[in-house]
This record gives sequence, C-alpha cells and structure tokens, in this order.
Amino acid sequence: MSAVLKTVNLVKIYQDGAIPVPAVRGVDLQVEPGEFVAIMGPSGSGKSTLVHMLGGLDARTSGEIWLDGKRVDTLSESAWALLRRKKVGFVFQFFNLVANMTVGDNVELPALLAGVSPKVARERRESLLGALDLTDRADAAPAQLSGGEQQRVALARALANQPSLLLADEPTGNLDSRNTRDVLRLLGKVHKEGQSIVMVTHDARVAALADRVVSLFDGEVVDDGRIARRRRGTAGEVIDLR
Amino acid sequence: MRLHLLALLAKEPAHGYELKQALEQTFGSAYPSPNIGQVYVTLGRLEKDGLVRAVDVEQSNRPNKKVYYLTAKGRDHLTTWVDEPTEGPRVRDEFFMKLVLAPLTGIADRMALINRQRRHYLSLMSDLNDLLNRTSPSDRVAMLLIEGAMLHLQADLDWLERCQEDLA
Amino acid sequence: MSTALAGSRWIRADLRARKGQAVLTVLAVAGIVAALITAATLLEDGTNPWRSLSAQSDGAHVWFYTGDSPEVALGGIDGVTQIAGPYRSAPVTVAQDGKREPAALRAMPAEPARVAHPLVAEGNWLDAAQPDGVVVERSFASSLRLGVGAPFTIIALSGERHTLYVRGVADTAEHGFYPEWTPGLAYVLPEMLDRIEPMMGRSEWVTGLRLADPDAAQVVSQRVVVMLEDQLQRVYTWREVRGAMELDNRLLGTLLALFGVVGLVAAALALANAAGGRVLGQLRDLATLKSMGFTRGQITLLLVVEHGALGLLGVALGALAGWGVMAAVLGPTSVAPVPVLAIVAGTALVVLAAVGLPAWRGGRTPPIPAAPASPPRGHLSRLARLALLVRLPPALVLGTRDAFTRRVPAFLTAFGLAVPMMMITIGLGVWATLDNFLSHPEQVGQHAGLYVRPGKLEAAEARRIAERDKDVAAVYPGTDVNALAPGEARSVRVRAVGSSTQPYPFPVVEGRRYARQGEAVAGQGLLDLLGIRIGDRVRLTVGGSPLIVRIVGRTVEPDQDGVVLSVGLDSLAAKDSVPPEYYALALRPGADRAEVRGRLLAESAEGLDVQAAVNPADRLSIIRVVIVALIAVLALIGLANLLTASALGLRDHAFDLAVLKAMGLTPRQVMATLVTGTGLLVVLGVGAGAAAGASVVTGLIDLQGHTSGVGAGIGRPPSPLTLAVAVVIAVGTALAVALIPARRAARAQVPVTAR
Repeated sequence: MSAVLKTVNLVKIYQDGAIPVPAVRGVDLQVEPGEFVAIMGPSGSGKSTLVHMLGGLDARTSGEIWLDGKRVDTLSESAWALLRRKKVGFVFQFFNLVANMTVGDNVELPALLAGVSPKVARERRESLLGALDLTDRADAAPAQLSGGEQQRVALARALANQPSLLLADEPTGNLDSRNTRDVLRLLGKVHKEGQSIVMVTHDARVAALADRVVSLFDGEVVDDGRIARRRRGTAGEVIDLR
Repeated sequence: MRLHLLALLAKEPAHGYELKQALEQTFGSAYPSPNIGQVYVTLGRLEKDGLVRAVDVEQSNRPNKKVYYLTAKGRDHLTTWVDEPTEGPRVRDEFFMKLVLAPLTGIADRMALINRQRRHYLSLMSDLNDLLNRTSPSDRVAMLLIEGAMLHLQADLDWLERCQEDLA
Repeated sequence: MSTALAGSRWIRADLRARKGQAVLTVLAVAGIVAALITAATLLEDGTNPWRSLSAQSDGAHVWFYTGDSPEVALGGIDGVTQIAGPYRSAPVTVAQDGKREPAALRAMPAEPARVAHPLVAEGNWLDAAQPDGVVVERSFASSLRLGVGAPFTIIALSGERHTLYVRGVADTAEHGFYPEWTPGLAYVLPEMLDRIEPMMGRSEWVTGLRLADPDAAQVVSQRVVVMLEDQLQRVYTWREVRGAMELDNRLLGTLLALFGVVGLVAAALALANAAGGRVLGQLRDLATLKSMGFTRGQITLLLVVEHGALGLLGVALGALAGWGVMAAVLGPTSVAPVPVLAIVAGTALVVLAAVGLPAWRGGRTPPIPAAPASPPRGHLSRLARLALLVRLPPALVLGTRDAFTRRVPAFLTAFGLAVPMMMITIGLGVWATLDNFLSHPEQVGQHAGLYVRPGKLEAAEARRIAERDKDVAAVYPGTDVNALAPGEARSVRVRAVGSSTQPYPFPVVEGRRYARQGEAVAGQGLLDLLGIRIGDRVRLTVGGSPLIVRIVGRTVEPDQDGVVLSVGLDSLAAKDSVPPEYYALALRPGADRAEVRGRLLAESAEGLDVQAAVNPADRLSIIRVVIVALIAVLALIGLANLLTASALGLRDHAFDLAVLKAMGLTPRQVMATLVTGTGLLVVLGVGAGAAAGASVVTGLIDLQGHTSGVGAGIGRPPSPLTLAVAVVIAVGTALAVALIPARRAARAQVPVTAR
C-alpha cells in the first residue's frame, strides 16, 4: 500500500526583509497508513512550519508534497481548503475551538462542511461526543471546559470526517499533566484504530506513543527511527532496570 | 531494606512475615516483592546492631515466633535518616562522559550519540507509558513512582536537546 | 450547499455571542435610513404640497372655466376617468378688516364629491342645515385671518352685501396659494350662490377632469380647447398648480442630498468600523475555520453575509419605520415612493460596500492559528516621544502611545468622527446663513422692510404719508412689471425700484449698482436663463415697448429663482412707471415693522395697503428642522463609531492593562491612559472635521445659491463661538462615552493568561 504522506526535498524559506530565513531545508518524509510519527526538535527547528506545510496552511518554497498518492503542493489556497475538509484533520496547541459556538456545534461543523446531511452530521456528533464522554457538555461554550476537555473536543472535531491524516501541532503544549494524560489516552486509542498521525511535540511522553520519531534540527531531519518497545513487568521491575 | 523495616517497626512491633506483607501493601507494584529470607537476614543484622530487639512469643501447637520492636537507638537512627536531605540524581553519568570523550577518540560523533540516546530514552518512556496504562489508578504509590520516572526521563531528554544545541 | 449550512451555523453562533453589538449596528443603520426618509418626505411635503393634497383629495388634473355649463361629452376624451363638476362660480369681493380681497364663490353640494373634493382641515364641510355657511380655502382663510365661526362678508357684483359664516377651512389641489394665486376661493351651497348672484351671465362654470395618466394633461387640455372653442374662458393643468404651490426646493434638495450622502458615508464608516473591529477580534476563529477547510472566498462571503445582513436588516427596519412614521403623520399616500426607493437602494449598496472591505481582509487571514493574537506594540510614536519630552504624566504618555499603535483603525476612528463633525459644522453654517438672512435682510435684497401700495389714495399722498413717519429712513418708488425676453417663452420679472439719482441699495455681489438710466442689475437666475454676463446688453419687451439695458452687476436675489432684472424706475417707459405701483420703505435700524405698519394705516385712515416683506429665511425654516434631525443622527453615528473604537482598543489592551497594573499604575491612571488614547483621536477627528466643515461651508452654500439662482455671496460660516461650543460639546461627549468602558476596564480584574 502506498504512503499516506510523502514529501520530497521540502523547503520553506521566509523572507525577513531582504534576508532569506530558511525554516525547513529539504525534508524527505514518508508516512505509511496507520503510522504514528512524532516530530521532535528544539524550538526554531522548523517543526511547526513543516506540519503547517503538510496541511497546506503555509505555502512551501520548493519541493513536493504527496497526499494519498496525489501531488498537493501545487494546489491553490482554495483547493487546499477543499482537500482539508475530507483528508486532513488539524489539532493545535491552543485548541482553536470556535469560541462562539457550542461544543456540539464545533464538532458538527466539519461534517456539515464536508457535505454530510444534517442528520448524519448530528449522528456523528453524538457518537463522537459519546466516545469523548462529553455528551452532557454538548451545549457548553468551549471556554467553560478545562483545557484537556477542549483539546479532546478539538481532536474530535479534527477526526469528524475520518481524515486520511491527522496533523497535530503541540497538542499537549498548553495542558497540565493530568489533562495531557486524557489527551494521550485518546490519541493512543485513535492510533490503535488505524489513524495515521503526524504530530509535532516537545513532550517525550506524547512522542513515546508514536511508532517513529523524526528529529528535526535547524530545518533538517537529523534522526528518523522507530521506537523500540521491550520491557514488560511491574513498576518496580521496569524502573529498577534502568 | 534496613530503613524500610525500621520505619515499619516504628509504627508497631511485628514479626518477620507481617513485615513482608506490610512492605508489599505499602509499595504495591512499585517495589519488587522481597523474599522472606531476605527479611529475616536483615532483621538479624538490625538486631546485632542494637537497632531492634526480638522477643519470643509462645504459640499453641506451633513454634514460637519472634516479634521485633524498635529500640531507642533504632528510633534515633531512623530519625537521622528521615531528617537528612536526600541526594539528587546524578548528572555526571556515563552518557555525559561518552558525549564529552567520544569525539576525541573518533569512534562516534556526538550527533549520533545523542540520537541513539534519545531513541533509548523514548523507548524507555514508551515502556513507562505501557506500564502506566497497565497500572491500576488506585495504586497511588506505583503511579507516583512511574510519573516520577517519566519526569526524570523528560528532563533527560530536554537536557539532550540542550546538548545538541550547544555541542552539535 | 454544505458550506452554506456550516456557514449559517457559524453566523448564528457569532450573532448570538454579540447580540448587543449587532442590535446597535442594526439600530444605527435603521436610524439613518429612517431619518433620511423622514427628512426627504418632510421636505417633499413642505416644499411640494401639491402631490399629497392631490393624492388625498383625488384631485383633477385639468381644470377649465366656461361661460355656460359645458354641454359636451367630456367623458369621451381619451384618458379622462372622472369629471368634477361642472360647478358654478361667481366673482365677489370679500370685505375683511377694511380690506377688500377678490374671491371666487364656488357652488358645491353638501355631500362630498367623489373627485376633487376639498379636504376639510378645520370645522366641517357645507351642510344644508346651515345655508349661510361657507368653507374657505386654507391659504385664503389664513391670509384673511379667518377662523371657523367667523363672519365672512361678501359684496356681490351688484354691490349687495351678504354675511356668511365660516363653517370650515379646507385644502384643495386645484388652486395655488393666496395671495400668489388670486382670486381667493370659497365654497357655498348652490342655493346660496343663486341667492347672492342670481344673474347667470355674471358667473362661470368650473369643470375638472381626472386623468388616468397625469402626464397626458397637456394633450387633454388641447382637446378641451378644440372641443369647447369659444365657450372656453381659460384652462390650466395640475402642473401650473403644482408650480404655484412649490417653494424653491432646490436649495433644500441639494442640502438634503448632501447631508444624505455624508450621512451614508458616516454610516458606511460606522459599519466598516464595526465589522472591521469584529473581524479583527475573530482572526483566530477565522484561521480555525480555514484550517477546517473554508476557502478564502467562503470566509469573505460568510463575513459579507453576516455583517451585510445586519446592515440590510437595518435598512429594511429604517425604511419601514420612516415610512410608517410619515404615513402616520402625513397620511398613507404622502410618502413619495421614488426618493424612498432611492434611499433604500443607496443605503443597501453602501452597506454592502462598507462591509466588503473588512470581509475581504478577513478572508485573507492566514490559516495558521497563531498564539492568541497580540497587538503590535513597542515603538513609541513621535507624538508620544514629544509628550515624554515635555514631561507629561505617564498616563498621558502611555495613552498617546496607544492612540497610534494601530494606524489604520486610528485613522478610521478619527475619520469616522471627522465626517459627522464636518457635516455638523456645515449644518451650523446653513443655520448661520439663515440667521444672517433674518438679521441682515438687506444683504439678501430685502433692504426695504415694508411695501406700501397707494390703495385708495393718490400715489403722491401715499408717498407723503410714508415719508412723514419717523421710523422710515428712505422711500423708494417702485413698480414690478413682466417683460418678455427674446427667444424665451416665459416672461421675466422686471423690478423697477429707486431711480438713478436715488438707487435702491441692492446687495450687489459682483459689479456695481445701477447708476444711470439704461443700467440694470440682475439675479443669477436671469443671467443663467439668458446666458449673459455682467457688461452685456439685453433687450426686453415690456408691454410692447422695448427696454434695453446694460447689466452692470449681480445681486443676491431670493425671489423668482433669481430670474429678476432690477432697474431704476426712470429706466422704464413713463406709461409703466407713473404713478409707481408701490413704495418700498427702508426703516431705521431698530424700528418695529408692525408698529410702523400700524401707524401708516392709522395715518391714512386704512387707505393704504401696507405689506411686510417676506424674508426668504421664513420660508426656509423647514431646513432648520432637517438640520437638527440630521445633526442628531450624525452625532449618533459618531458615537457608534467611537464605541466600536474604544471596544477595539480595550480588546487590544486587556493584556497590557494587567501589566500596567502590576507595574504600579493606579486604576485612575489606567483609566486616564485609556481615555487619553481615545481622547486624542477624538480631538483630532473633531478638530479636523470642524476645520474641514468651516472651510467648505461658505463655498458650498454659495455653490448651492448659484445653482438655485439666488447667486453666490449668501454663505456664512458658523460663528467662532458656535463652532467652539460645538467642538467642546462633541469632544466632551466623546470623552464621557469613552470614560464608561475605560472605568470598567480599569476596575476589572484582568487575568494574565493567554486565553
């Protein structure tokens, strides 16, 4: 089966006045279906820029992006938008729920946007909220929810249209450890169900959920490898072994 | 295990098997289960050092059992241990030595070292994640232990990043 | 379709989240539209009363007078739908307060006619139970100072006196206003007319034709002329009536249009500011929508639909309210549809245009939802540096810095206040011009305060009586005649007053006064009509004899649309000028016209006919109502702008405020900072607006005067004091308004979190 996502020599250069500032310099990346890739690296290493480009939120300077076997880096802004509706889900650090809409509406919006009938959209909303254990908060405003709950809603919204690819930019960057655990559990769950995920993170606990870690440094990939899983045992054993 | 037993005896006198059970109960899965022989050997040493004293208690149709209790000296010893601050984690660890010395030898470059180490840490983290998922939330002590380990690991990874930024 | 559904969901949520603001926007637009419609209708009604009178009275469009009752099948004429009359009409003289006024007594039945029925304004219509009742046309009644129940003494041609009693006062659309349109009109029952004037030969018959298409009046009147031939005495159409009733409304119309356009601009600014501010606050949400798959065009459309819908709702509400109020006050047919439709269409277009720009900007939001939007900060503006240099308190410095941090909104805020302020200044200028008309009538050609007609006396006697009065400064003999200009179908008024030795002091704004025989001054209207300039010679015909004059100056001429030629009496042929028709009396300063008039009447034993000059400002008094209303609306628009601006400013500052407080600024200082920020923009905007208004106001009024024939030279800027007071009030109100949110913000606990 072909890769969900493939980039070839992807480059992004910002113009700061007359000085070109390279943010991403030639990234080759391939994500297989169902794979969970974590992108790590110090701040300023270009990880956010990379993931924004993968979702078409930012235009690439050169290089190629292939999504589901189709070349997408040449798409216009509008075409990208149409593509995102069905193929790409986004989760951000600051949740980015539409502040004025209720939690339920936030989850329902992408389904409506993708052209699903209002009835189906309503059903999908119910099932997603049910899975998140947020059914009773459906009519609350996002601001009334805790950070973790908001991020879970954002995740539900990103997954509403069963996208080929879930892109996440520091999804736990703004959460405390308890909320992080909630979001992690959910991410792990959708990954087990076969969702392909590319996630930028700083948080080793989140990254450790991934199948693969890609380390960026100064806009380049410096390491790309699978995370080995070996040990089993009780807390005392695992930790003592260290 | 000496101080663990002293601490348990500070609560109430107990015999060896009771102590083993109390240890398991307190630490749960966070602490490997001690074998009974080890407990008796440790108690014997403590008795020899005058920190505990054993009293034989007669039992009908069974051999006498030894009940241990804390001596005044034992209590002083325990107090001193609790009161003094505990050493922090070691930073000048082996990896640091490798990182500083490896380039001199030409055997490996730093970036490769850092990358390998990061993967190792992440794989440890992944194990801890699994462990966390398998541990029942009611096992508070185990949970805290795991989270502590994770936070240490996170700190190690952050430090790795600093190394990469400054040395690479 | 799918996006429409998703979009509508978003719009609904957004509107729900800011009900107050949305309502304010709708109300502001509605207020402007309602004010415009009200003003337009009032103006239309005030300056062109014929339309609504005709509509209410089902008036006829063609009227003609015949010697005998017309025996022709008038209903057979194409386009005639209904016929009024024929009614018998007899000429009589009304004797009232020693004056004798010509009148026509019209016989009408007690039951109201279906067509062209007079509209009873006071009292009742004729009733067979009161045979000596009379219903008097309103302008005639007010000229004679007649009220319901007053005696109405008439002298028939036979010399016989009859006393009737006023039963009602009525409006009609068939007749211009007395005294411009003579004779005056009164209605009696047919039996009474037969008693007053039994001789059929001394009366005539009046018939009105109501047409399907009023524009066909000319054709129909031609047919009537042909059909009736020598029976016909005279015929006129609704156009003449309307023309007679119409005030010179070009001045008003242009003013209204100007106010309307600027009101719209101000409304557009208010909308653009409101929408822009909202979009600025929504940038994160918009970015989120984009990341979910809304395209740039869809976002733009979404915003246009949302904010445009508010504006259009306002337009609709305003149109309904304006229409409703006018219909309630003036009757359902009084609202002219064309200006209303024009206003609605105009405002709708303006609304969409105003919303378009912020929507387009919103559509261009990059889809990367950055960390919570933070306002640009840091650089001290030059003004702030200056403030620091002169050691102003820190609150002022910070406020100054804030005022110009966001340049475009700062400009929009200042501009949004400058435009209404400019219009208010112009309105005050118009007001001052009207005041100037009143306080210095000589500057608008009203040097004379009284006009004396000899009446029963000899001309020389009249002159002697006038000259003897202690308050009369000068007496100028005068005569008004009509002259025909070559190649012009219409006649022009020639006003011969004063003489070359004692010229009447016309307010000449260009050239000079006439000084010799054969010299004349003219109003702008005449110059435009004949296409001549000062220095040209014109040849007119007055009653068959030629009048050749050279135009030496231009006067301010408020009468007859400025189509007036003024000469010395000695320039006219003797047959026209001797004896003079009237004497124009210039009064000493401070003299009371009514007092002088009373003395003159007493002196001449009621033999003289003394009239006070009508000041054009009196006729234009409706402008004042319009000015006040529009100033109120403009002030509201300005305030709406300001509220938006300060809300936006607060949003930008929510974060800074916490820092400022942490740094040790007291709530009072925080408040001062915020108020300074808005206040500077207010002062700038109001100052610029007042300056711009003051600099264009005289030019505008003069331009208007030029086009209306009055001529340039009448415009007056508002007095410095008025202007200063207006500026102070505007700034003060604005600051007070800015103070409310600032106070709340200064007191509020501001959380130091990134949302």
